Amino acid sequence: MSGAAELLYGNRAADDIALAATPLDTAAADTVVIEDVEILYVLYEMSMASALERLPVSLHPSVPALFGFTFMRAPGGPLGPFTIAWYGIACRTGIKPRHLIQGAFCNRIQAADFFAGRYGFACRTAEVGLRETFDRVRGSVDVDGATLIDVAITDGLPLVGAGALIKYSPPLNGTSLAGGPALVQFEAGYDFKRVLRGRPRLAAFAAAGLGDAGLAPTHPIAGSHAVVDLHLMPARFQVDLTTPAEAGGARKIAR
Amino acid sequence: MKFGLFYELSTPRPFTTENQRAVIENAIEQTVLADELGFSSVWCVEHHFLEEYSHSSCPDMFLTAVARATRNIRVGFGIGTCVPAMHSPIRWAEKAAFLDLLSNGRVEFGTGRSSTWNELGGFNAVVDDTKRSWDEYCRVIPKMWTEERFSYEGTYFSMPERCVLPKPMQDPHPPLWVAVTAPGTEFDAADRGMGALILSIADVERNVPRIQEYRERIKRCEPVGAFVNDQVAIANWMYCHPEDAYAKQRGEELIATFGYMAGQTVEVSEAYPANNYSALGLLGSLRPDPNAPGDAKKPPASGLCFGDPDSLVDTISRWQAAGADHLIFMVQAREHLPQADVLESMRLFAREVMPHFSDSGRKKAVGA
Repeated sequence: MSGAAELLYGNRAADDIALAATPLDTAAADTVVIEDVEILYVLYEMSMASALERLPVSLHPSVPALFGFTFMRAPGGPLGPFTIAWYGIACRTGIKPRHLIQGAFCNRIQAADFFAGRYGFACRTAEVGLRETFDRVRGSVDVDGATLIDVAITDGLPLVGAGALIKYSPPLNGTSLAGGPALVQFEAGYDFKRVLRGRPRLAAFAAAGLGDAGLAPTHPIAGSHAVVDLHLMPARFQVDLTTPAEAGGARKIAR
Repeated sequence: MKFGLFYELSTPRPFTTENQRAVIENAIEQTVLADELGFSSVWCVEHHFLEEYSHSSCPDMFLTAVARATRNIRVGFGIGTCVPAMHSPIRWAEKAAFLDLLSNGRVEFGTGRSSTWNELGGFNAVVDDTKRSWDEYCRVIPKMWTEERFSYEGTYFSMPERCVLPKPMQDPHPPLWVAVTAPGTEFDAADRGMGALILSIADVERNVPRIQEYRERIKRCEPVGAFVNDQVAIANWMYCHPEDAYAKQRGEELIATFGYMAGQTVEVSEAYPANNYSALGLLGSLRPDPNAPGDAKKPPASGLCFGDPDSLVDTISRWQAAGADHLIFMVQAREHLPQADVLESMRLFAREVMPHFSDSGRKKAVGA
């Protein structure tokens, strides 16, 4: 053997992980429930080298490296009507699947503030769309008239029975906590009312406009469109930025 | 109770020639010792693209090497993937029969369908069809062995009349098994008269109802092969050492290493929503619900065979009472343990544990 095992960690410096400007609301204790939220979730593969460049040492990539888009459209509820979108890279802390968020957008200030305060999402204001038409479900992000993301699923197939759910990997966002910079985990529950699986179609992904010209989804895997009652719970878990993945994992946020 | 070894051939980075060869050669050395010590079987997985976790893409080759280096130990495909994008059923029938001849009739033929996006996506397989193609393969492969000439028109496989060669040495053919990870697959095994190779590592209590259901259901089976293989094998871990606490500590290290490697893979259910992959596979079963991660580490499974000989006798007795016929052990993970320690663990196990579960051992215990 060649000595100690070499492990597969991200190699981005912790200092380079963007931290949310909004302080995390660690005092939040209530669960916000929003009925009939539509969720479009689309997964692509991406190059392993590209994933490793963007993940810190506290995360290891999935193998193969995955890239995920999520759009959520709330028709109403406690936060008012809004649509939010984010995209991220699949990762692991210990053995649990998560996504490290690379960018987020929202079309309503109130919702953006909520997602920032609860979960560290640093949303840019944008026109965020999620529309179901006769042959596809399409999510789009437009800023100043430029389309940054246009992704859809087609050939929708209803999933019923035991398979009528989607295993969303929880997002992680960089934020500042009492102990210093950390990643905080999105905490949500989903009551599924309808689930479709579809074939991904990526019409636009303006990497440069998104601020990361090297980022590129590659091989399409699958997408889904679900209607759920969404339970937005207080954030509970954080992940260190510097503890190597094999020794790391999530731990409870101090309150 | 019979005992076997189970190989993933997990390999540490960097994937140098030296590291890759060491994993394979160490594993073969273990199987040779196992043969001498009276272990009954060696099983080898088929996996593709699972970096570190399993470099065992050619189980037929590994098992051939084992067969030619041993005399008695049986050699099992654990499992051969029954997915058209990966293999034709003709090739599985040919390879298993060829190995049966080379091994003097020692083949066990396990079947399955893969549970990772790494593999199914890598081969551009049709994910929705894997259960149905597995079912078709299970029905045609035994006929290729037993019928002089065979033809078939099916959904996932068809062939004009041909003589599939060679024919296996075992009469009528090698025993058939199914890898059981998702709940309910034990029913699929039982209904087809196939052995259940249970890969849900490794709680005794959780498997008791599964084994009971299997035993009841196989009584009413319609066997896909020429005979019913009414057997339950449990994949497990084993590290035996005179000091119980030390053995358990080393065992935890093996599990942690395995978990780290398994964690990197992408379960089908994580990437591709489908009704035939709604349950977590073996790898995913190691992960708690990602939306509700536990505060503490999951407690070790109750049936893991880490400990001193007395502890292992107790654990294995519970497996025996639960109805398991075989325990198939993983004894290494990414070469975490020195090879000498693995071999010594096997020797201690054979010397002080195995006799309690042999016919002569039981008679001696009764006489005492």
